[in-house]
Amino acid sequence: MKLEFTLNGEPITLDDVPEEMKLLDLLRDVLGLTGAKRGCDTGTCGACSVLLDGRLTKSCRTPLSKVAGRHVTTIEGLHGPDGGLSDMQAAFLEFGAVQCGFCTPGMVLAGEALLLKNPAPTRDEIRKGINSNLCRCTGYQQIVDAIEATAKRRAAQSEES
Amino acid sequence: MKTRYIGNVTTQNVDGPDKVTGRAKYVADMTMPDMLYAKVLHSPVPHARILRLDVSPALAIPGVRAAITSDDFVEYGNFGFPVKDMYILAFQKVRYVGDPIAVVAAETPEAAQAGVEAIVLELEELPVVADMKSAMSSTASLVPLTAPLEQGNLCAEDIVRNGDPGPLLADSAVVLEQRYEFPHQEQAYIEPEAVLAVPEPDGGVTVFTNNQSPFECRDVLVETLGLPPEAVRIVQPPVGGAFGGKDEPLYQCSAQAARLAMYTGRPVKLVFTREESLMTSYKRQAMNIHLRIGADQDGNLTAAQATLLADSGGYASMTPFVLWRATVHAAGAYRYQAVQVDAEAVYTNNGYAGAFRGFGNTQAAAAIEMAIDELAQRLGRDPLDFRLQNCLRQGDRTMTGDVIEHEVGLAECLEWVRDHSEWSRKRAEYAQQPADALKRRGIGVACYFHGCGLGSEGEDFAVTTLRIAPDGNITLTSGLTDYGQGSRTVFTLIAAEVLGVSPERIHILRPDTYTARNSGPTVASRSSIVGGNATRVAAEKLAHTLRLAAADALGCTEEQIVRDGEAFIGPDENPLPLEKVVAHARQMGLQLSTVGRWHAPPIEWDFEKGHGRPYFAYVFGAQVAEVEVNQRTGKVSVLHIWAAHDGGTILYPTGALGQLYGGIAQGLGYALMESFRYENGYPQTLSLAKYTIPRAKDVPPITGTYIQTRLKDGPFGAKNLAEPVMIGTAPAIANAVFQATGERFHSLPIRPQKK
Repeated sequence: MKLEFTLNGEPITLDDVPEEMKLLDLLRDVLGLTGAKRGCDTGTCGACSVLLDGRLTKSCRTPLSKVAGRHVTTIEGLHGPDGGLSDMQAAFLEFGAVQCGFCTPGMVLAGEALLLKNPAPTRDEIRKGINSNLCRCTGYQQIVDAIEATAKRRAAQSEES
Repeated sequence: MKTRYIGNVTTQNVDGPDKVTGRAKYVADMTMPDMLYAKVLHSPVPHARILRLDVSPALAIPGVRAAITSDDFVEYGNFGFPVKDMYILAFQKVRYVGDPIAVVAAETPEAAQAGVEAIVLELEELPVVADMKSAMSSTASLVPLTAPLEQGNLCAEDIVRNGDPGPLLADSAVVLEQRYEFPHQEQAYIEPEAVLAVPEPDGGVTVFTNNQSPFECRDVLVETLGLPPEAVRIVQPPVGGAFGGKDEPLYQCSAQAARLAMYTGRPVKLVFTREESLMTSYKRQAMNIHLRIGADQDGNLTAAQATLLADSGGYASMTPFVLWRATVHAAGAYRYQAVQVDAEAVYTNNGYAGAFRGFGNTQAAAAIEMAIDELAQRLGRDPLDFRLQNCLRQGDRTMTGDVIEHEVGLAECLEWVRDHSEWSRKRAEYAQQPADALKRRGIGVACYFHGCGLGSEGEDFAVTTLRIAPDGNITLTSGLTDYGQGSRTVFTLIAAEVLGVSPERIHILRPDTYTARNSGPTVASRSSIVGGNATRVAAEKLAHTLRLAAADALGCTEEQIVRDGEAFIGPDENPLPLEKVVAHARQMGLQLSTVGRWHAPPIEWDFEKGHGRPYFAYVFGAQVAEVEVNQRTGKVSVLHIWAAHDGGTILYPTGALGQLYGGIAQGLGYALMESFRYENGYPQTLSLAKYTIPRAKDVPPITGTYIQTRLKDGPFGAKNLAEPVMIGTAPAIANAVFQATGERFHSLPIRPQKK
């Protein structure tokens, strides 16, 4: 099938892709975007997470037919205003939310998806927001710290402006 | 000592920027032109003789380029340490469901899978050895090809003989006797096993592999492929978690892909699915522990006697060493007059077992800490106060009889978790809850000790190299792997601190057997202490070279040099920048690269007599768990964990806390959720939906700290922490659930009775 969608803010057209192909396979094997990871291929671990129209989505379970015409954001599409790290990415470093790093792209996107829905989440709400993404290294606490700090800093910034 | 980078709370992970942006390339992310894909034929049954194995039909499948079996390796690919009982591909027999039998390389993953399905395999099924107890029966089917100890399925045995507990237990006011059973636990790193092998023009092979121990991996490939050491290059891209679990299966995958790459002359990539990872990787040993511990009327522990039985599964892997560590920790972090331990590991057809965070002490500490709690209860004592009375302090003898000469922070850890958890108030309050309340709370404690480094498992050394370029940038190599624990950050900090340069100057290469020196395996929480010391030694040598050059340039003695930032200052007080010192050193003809090697202090353990000094140092810790149990559903919610660990000086505080939190989450999984089950040898939990690990909502807030002591032999006084921080969690939770429910648990995971 012919597929048109928006990837990390840029329109993209693919002339012939199998309809049943999963978004993760397209990203990794066709487009060479390897930030989304393959941890289980069954939608259990969340390492393959991307944003689909701003909602956290497991790309390993998403057929391309569901992607047509929509906005996909992968970790490669996140950056700060200066092209460097986004505030969320920087907070992950600052609070020690990164160990092996394999779940990290999905976790950063889970944090972004949460803040799009709920810009001022409680710590419990953050835990719920990242509950579909497994991390075996960190025990989640510093990930929660990083997302909480990002939410607070964004709120403070928007108050200032 | 005042330090600039060591212990600095603002330090960030040096690999962080690549990881948060998705730029970090893990093995599965790598591709090569002309790359082939490999797929493995795994054993469908737990125990069988291979009657016929013919891969030629696979070669007839379009797209298939090569297929291999044990015939394609030197001595059929036999390897293994300390017991040489494994094969790169199954030889003569299969011993567990998932045992790799053959591998096919093809143009596409689909063609490789079709090739696997075309392989002709005839098996004669053998009786399944499904549990530890039946493994040693005289009628049990023999799991290994030959019995390593000439006693059937006995895989390993260990003892501790420190005095005679018999008379002491007979005279004790209270003796607790209890049996505990622990399940298999899966490491469940989020990144499955992955290998990319690339043939080299000189007939050698380069393998990118996500294993933990590159030099061990190289040695297995050299041996089984029949190549000279210099023909095998193992390179380690970032590793997506390991926890002890990424050794033997990756040695097998690496050798398989390397052989296929050499046969085809093309790069070969082999990546496991999650199901393959769960089926094929080794687990934490299921273990049965029988304890007898005594105390006198005043609540002083007298003696302990322990019997351990571990399930090694189809192969030995690290189980003999795991068993030894469990044996020398079996009576816990307490003073006794006598301790005796007898331990055995047996072969079964339940997968196979190997290294996993805690390495035997996870099981040992869980048993003894549940037992100590029950003993305190029988004595009518507060369990935390009882531990404080009996816990190891500086100058005490451990359960193996060796004297601890270094600082011991255990009592301080217990006091810290007591005070921060409001232990006494909650303990009293929860004792007053109505028995029939729907939800009841409880608070429980556990403590532990853990020997530093490899102990008697092998030569405990590491080597770091440093090289400073004309622009002052420094390249560091280590043969130890960072699979998330933060060792690359720790080595960077140590080098920067000793050299007096900014950490941004330090560029640490990936472990690579061509550019780094053999540093032994990356196991036993030894990177910071052993690798850190090697880095310190290398940095001190390079710093000496630079000081000599600066002194020569400034016309003074080495001793007269002081540092201001990176600059060197002599008596004339004009700062000489680092780059100029490097340039002057080059003019002098000095060598601007160096090697630092560090070897752990000697230890001695007599395996026959079960006595000696098993480790050169110990770490300690204590944890308190607060839980709420729904008495109708039996559901346990952990409300909070308090944790304190004596890991010596803390080098990288943010990373050290991350280890603590992550270890606790794994301990919580061990306590409440995780059990890798086999039924008659068949694995039952082959997905992350069936084998559940803690999610964000399962893990409570954790209040943690490090009680900083100073170990003379550690780099800047550091000890270790990555493994032991998990082992107090499960028993602390079990003991808290006891207060909530009145039910004692003798096995994990804990499932309280529904009322």
